[in-house]
Amino acid sequence: MLKVRLRPAPRGRGEPRLLPVAGAAGVPHALRAAAAAAGFTGAAGQCLDLPEDGAQGGPQGGAPGGSAARLVLVGTGAPRRSLDWERAGGAGLAAAGAVRHLALDARGLPPEAAAALAAGACLRAWRFEAARSEAARRGAPPAPEALDLLVDSPEATAPHWERAAAGVRGCLLARDLAAAPGNHLTTRAFAARLETLAEHGIAVDVLGRKRLAREGLGGLLAVGGGSANPPRLAVLRWRGSHAAPPVAFIGKGLCFDTGGLSLKPAAGMAAMRADMAGAAACAGAMLALALRRSPAPAVAVLPLAENAIGGAAYRPGDVLRMGSGRTVEVVDTDAEGRLVLADALHVARRFRPAAMLDLATLTGAIVTALGAHRAGLFGTDAALMAQAAAAGEAVGEPLWAMPIGARHREDLASDIADLRQCASGRLQPDACHAAAFLREFAGDCPWAHLDIAGVEVRAGADALGPKGPSGFGARLLDSLVAHYFEDPDRI
Amino acid sequence: MLDIAFVKPALPRSGALVLPLPEGGDGTLALAGLAQAIDAASGGAIARGLAAAGFKGRKGQSATLWAPALEGGAPGPARVVAIGLGKPGELTPEAAEAAGGAALPLVSAEREAVVAAEALAAPHAAAFALGLLLRSYRFDRYRTTVKEEEKPKLERVALASDAATAAKTAWAPMRAVAEGVFLSRDLVSEPPNILDPEEMAERCKVLEKLGVEVEILGPKEMRKLGMGALLGVAQGSVKEPRLVVMQWHGAGGGKGKKATTTPVAFIGKGVTFDTGGISIKPAGGMEDMKWDMAGAGAVVGLMAALAGRKAKVDAVGLVGLTENMPSGEAQRPGDVVRTMSGQTVEVINTDAEGRLVLADVIHYCQERFAPRFMVDLATLTGAIIVALGHEHAGLFSNDDTLAQQLAAAGKSVGEALWRMPMGEPYDKALKSDIADMKNVGGRPGGSITAAQFILRFVGKAGPAQAPIPWAHLDIAGTAWSSKDLPTVPKGATAFGVRLLDRLVADHYEG
Repeated sequence: MLKVRLRPAPRGRGEPRLLPVAGAAGVPHALRAAAAAAGFTGAAGQCLDLPEDGAQGGPQGGAPGGSAARLVLVGTGAPRRSLDWERAGGAGLAAAGAVRHLALDARGLPPEAAAALAAGACLRAWRFEAARSEAARRGAPPAPEALDLLVDSPEATAPHWERAAAGVRGCLLARDLAAAPGNHLTTRAFAARLETLAEHGIAVDVLGRKRLAREGLGGLLAVGGGSANPPRLAVLRWRGSHAAPPVAFIGKGLCFDTGGLSLKPAAGMAAMRADMAGAAACAGAMLALALRRSPAPAVAVLPLAENAIGGAAYRPGDVLRMGSGRTVEVVDTDAEGRLVLADALHVARRFRPAAMLDLATLTGAIVTALGAHRAGLFGTDAALMAQAAAAGEAVGEPLWAMPIGARHREDLASDIADLRQCASGRLQPDACHAAAFLREFAGDCPWAHLDIAGVEVRAGADALGPKGPSGFGARLLDSLVAHYFEDPDRI
Repeated sequence: MLDIAFVKPALPRSGALVLPLPEGGDGTLALAGLAQAIDAASGGAIARGLAAAGFKGRKGQSATLWAPALEGGAPGPARVVAIGLGKPGELTPEAAEAAGGAALPLVSAEREAVVAAEALAAPHAAAFALGLLLRSYRFDRYRTTVKEEEKPKLERVALASDAATAAKTAWAPMRAVAEGVFLSRDLVSEPPNILDPEEMAERCKVLEKLGVEVEILGPKEMRKLGMGALLGVAQGSVKEPRLVVMQWHGAGGGKGKKATTTPVAFIGKGVTFDTGGISIKPAGGMEDMKWDMAGAGAVVGLMAALAGRKAKVDAVGLVGLTENMPSGEAQRPGDVVRTMSGQTVEVINTDAEGRLVLADVIHYCQERFAPRFMVDLATLTGAIIVALGHEHAGLFSNDDTLAQQLAAAGKSVGEALWRMPMGEPYDKALKSDIADMKNVGGRPGGSITAAQFILRFVGKAGPAQAPIPWAHLDIAGTAWSSKDLPTVPKGATAFGVRLLDRLVADHYEG
């Protein structure tokens, strides 16, 4: 993550300065002619790169010795929400280009806006370099490393920045995990990575094969059975400070998904390294809660497995006994996510949570339904669903409510077991079927299911991130907890 | 069509007696009216028989008792059919309708049935009758070898009620709507070699008898109007396209020859057979594409319903009728067509033809009628089936009020809608390198990008030049049912007829 320092004034070392501008009227007088000539109106998303002139740019502007410093005007339009400031910060960071150090001039703005601008810049600046060699990294053009956030009062801004930074770090953890290739982030490596979160005060418990067998988690064991990398169930707990039932996050953690015996086509299979984006988002949310010392207790139950082909792989036609005791007929081994989630929901219910939310890159059907702009939202509790949707809008991770109908459940009737895992044939509403399936394991706990297939990656860069994993869900869950689960009177 | 009558209660001497029974408070059934009468006449055989069958009056329960012996050897019904209504006080018209639908297959082997509807309020009694009638639909035109004993015999259903007059009053408009539903189901069921665009346009003329003004436009008129999109779809077939304009002037009492108010408008996709064109569909299941005109079928049925019940509304229905065929004359992927609106479209996939037809018909509709709102119905995308399945049709709209009215109307007639998102990120997927837009936006969000395409042809109207309220119902998953439902036999559902009739009745009459 960008190193952010709060400073009252620029260092004057020649780093580019990003200056948020709300509409044409916000352009500094001396630059109006240039702005007008370049067609810069200060609308959201616009940026204008100008040489910084000490005489024109104000008392702090300009580089010593007349070296060519840059001033980047960043249009904010009429920002109403934190998200608008975040987008402006991200757009500005992108416009600054290949520089190591830069300044973001939030002087005169409220501390919340300053924090959001910096948060956006950090989100946009994220890169995944771990899989490149040292030599390649050394030869690469410079990229932003440090940001001076210029504010009227660093002391007044600091608490706002710390809160915002927690969500950003959670999101970036989720992206780091999702970006890691399948041979690096194996189930064991993922579990080990989660264990390091203990340093932030999160209790981490990882269940191996023996424990899973003792618990009877037949879904997770079957899905992970074909791989040389054994399945794991990670349970992360954040105690918070309220004596209240926790909110539970359940995340699908398929470190790689070949589809199993119902093998996926080769084209596009590489993307399946991110089939653990749900678990990654939950882990990121836990980190965010811990970093900002959230008073709300939370637990994350993350089933980790690799869906591989092999002599020990589970088969279409198999009947599994799940942790809850229900039996499930396997129709398609590539509908594995719902099996591991079902067992994880069963484990999560033991914590008697106030609410359960599961996140999963679950179905291609949700991509056909909603495209890559919104995640599908299913659930049993209208209030929880409305809260999740509101949290998503607030952080730019929008959801859309989808139905679980009686027919969807009927379609899961099995000839041999308690239920089928999915329906077969063309044009099936598989996202709805998956949700109907999971509902059977959610019991009477308020539950929401976010099908994040399609939104877990950005097809191209936008204001809040480069092309690649989006971390979708981490900030949403953090925001959900902050808005709806931290009020002690509610509990 | 079944003959439905409302009569004073009297025990039938043959046929079927249907007893719609609520759940008893303490698990026992309370028999009243004709139910009590037949129980008494049979020496308590009805109560004993129902108890033995485990019948408690629960919703969805039914039981059949055969020819109960009546005291003194009096002639009585050949079968007594009990239908559960659920908890008393919780009965809704929708539930009464579903109960009526459930009763139908149990009595269809009798010539006559009497329904003991004394305990039902008049609207519930009428709803029960509607359910029965809707479920009785059959399309037997092309069966020539059905044996006599396999044919349903039911001809007449009498609802016995003390409030027979009130029930009859409630029934009259329902029957008109049912006729619209049956007309729509007939059109959708017809095979594509029989029902081509010309034939379907001809059949729209039956509405003239109901007072609907019917105009038919052919390719010549379309060329003059510049409907390049619709003509492009049609050009591969030897069958000529048609555009049918149906006007119902009901606001002035149904007698006027002219609209006295700004009309409401309904537009239907009527691809009488869709091979996919040059972007041809796989062979498996292609026969289903005879119902690719179900949107148009619903609009025709709706106009029949509105006119049949003399709805106090000015309404127009427009259907774009064409066939989508591959041939040497057919439209190619890569072609650019100019729509009537002047906007150009790059045809990427000739199987995304429905939106091309709708684009021109919608534009024509608003140019000519400047309607209060437009609702289009179309079996538009496979993506909506993947998104929602077969229980909900997709609802897309630029107007929250209209969308809410539609969703509520759908809920109350059992034709459920589910609102789907729209917005600029989806619209972007239609960007073309050569024309104003492409006709497809890719697999992701496929039904949404289709709706965005249509929205590009929805214009502005009125002194404020506000966008015309518009809604699009993607009925690809709901136009045809693969199994029997309570009020819909397997086959063409006529989805949309009752929904839109209810929309008009609830918000746009008087």
